[in-house]
Amino acid sequence: MKSDFSELSVSKPGMEPIPADVAQPHLEDPRVVLSLLEADQVVAAKEQMRFGRQKLSRGVRLLLWGLRIYVVVMMIIVAISVLRAVHLIQ
Amino acid sequence: MDRTKNDVTSSPYVTAHPTTESAAASSDAPALAGLLTHEDVDRARDRWEVARARWKGRGAKKFRRVRLLWLLIGPGVLVFLGENDAPSMLSYSADGARHGIGFFIPFVVLTFLMGFVVQEMTVRLGAVTHRGHAELIFDRFGRFWGFFAMGDLVVGNFLTLVTEFIGVRAGLGFFGVRPTIAIGGALVIVAAAITTGRYWTWERITMGLAIFNGLFIPAAILARPNWHAVGHALVTWKPLPTGNHYEIVLLILATIGATVTPWMLFFQQSAVVDKGMQPRDINAGRFDTILGVLLASVFAIAAILATAPLFHHGINSVDFQAAQFAEALEPLIGHTGAALFALGIFEAGIVAAIAISTSSAYAFGEVLQTGHSLNRPLRDAWPFYLVLLGSASAAAGLVLIPNFPLEFVALTVNVIAVLAMPPALAFLLLLVNDPEVMGEYVNGRWANVAGIGVTLLLIIAGLGFGLATVFPKWLGG
Repeated sequence: MKSDFSELSVSKPGMEPIPADVAQPHLEDPRVVLSLLEADQVVAAKEQMRFGRQKLSRGVRLLLWGLRIYVVVMMIIVAISVLRAVHLIQ
Repeated sequence: MDRTKNDVTSSPYVTAHPTTESAAASSDAPALAGLLTHEDVDRARDRWEVARARWKGRGAKKFRRVRLLWLLIGPGVLVFLGENDAPSMLSYSADGARHGIGFFIPFVVLTFLMGFVVQEMTVRLGAVTHRGHAELIFDRFGRFWGFFAMGDLVVGNFLTLVTEFIGVRAGLGFFGVRPTIAIGGALVIVAAAITTGRYWTWERITMGLAIFNGLFIPAAILARPNWHAVGHALVTWKPLPTGNHYEIVLLILATIGATVTPWMLFFQQSAVVDKGMQPRDINAGRFDTILGVLLASVFAIAAILATAPLFHHGINSVDFQAAQFAEALEPLIGHTGAALFALGIFEAGIVAAIAISTSSAYAFGEVLQTGHSLNRPLRDAWPFYLVLLGSASAAAGLVLIPNFPLEFVALTVNVIAVLAMPPALAFLLLLVNDPEVMGEYVNGRWANVAGIGVTLLLIIAGLGFGLATVFPKWLGG
């Protein structure tokens, strides 16, 4: 479907589509709001569109599990260090 | 709106993909026009200001550039000045007080460079996808891994928030302010910052507060540092720290944790999204991040210099907390210097409390798919604001409990941040190398080398801490 607002589209990368010399933008006009935002920047569009699941390779799953185990072991070591400090103070 | 064909037929969603297409040019523009929210309008207003600053017919080129940078800085400055928080400034103070001017000054610069490598990726992720970090992890890796990442964030953020209020209490305690008044006042400031219902206003108020992190500079000047020794340390990394090796390993880990932590990834990406930054703003986002790195590293070095007299006078600062640092410094750098130091710790706590509670609220909103923008009014996004204020209030409440082990929490927070960072960095690197998410903005080779290098360094530092804890005698602990 062709957009009703295509006349507001960005014609060249890096150019803004509205006349920027006006003192205040007419933000009550939805066309102006839409012309200032990217297509997936509008809240309603973001709610309808999401990035789908990535298929994780065996290597990536191994990496994530390895790092998870690393964090758990390290947290146990932190607990040991804190308990040791408490014991020393007491 | 362009939609990629996909096989997610059972999902209510359509798969997103990176686009720089204007919403007005998309095929969904008529439908979207009727669904615009307060958040969209506020964001469009911010974008209009940026468009106006870019407009070639308006003013001299250099003034337009300065105006543009002024409009686009924020998330990078806030994340780094926010990370110069109470436990971080205490870590830097401990570096200065225990080892003087030497190894830790260039080491702090190195940790901030590591911070830049990591945070630059969040700028690109946010500007290209317009999604927060938690949202992308849940979308791309699923709920299982998403909840692990959130678990690390929630625990780390809450513990860090507690230490921020420790800083607030200790900083104002130097001036004789009662803990209930100090903590209550801090909560009022956090609440006041978010009542504006406007990201832009919140950002400017918080940046206005954050600049007072610079109070450590006059405190450092009053300490009359040996500038020749500072220059020598920056070039040679000497003198190296001496003494208890276990304590040195802990300080190194705490110093890294003072600069590179998981909440920073979530916060900056969400703030970039909330600010409405677009791919064409990525260079400005990089400048913003470099500015944050520069300011924060100078203020961090100032904290080291301010407390270095304690080392030169042989004062044992091993068990010092914030107020005790200020009290011990008073006879050496005068009441003004000590007061500036205490105020700096208070400021560090309050700015970080705002930034970290906002980071938690952003992540919760993204995961629960409820409104998560500071551009939303309270009635529209009350769960977001409830998490923000609720997490701050709970952390503040803990600090007021009599006999609460404040020192243990403060000591371990930075260490936990370093240990939780490698998985967070793995998610970040996977996302920023994902062409379906990033399109043409995927990581280049050198960004990957730097990112993987930082991750390996953090893992090695964590393993060093683990070995030093389990086998303390190896390091003379």
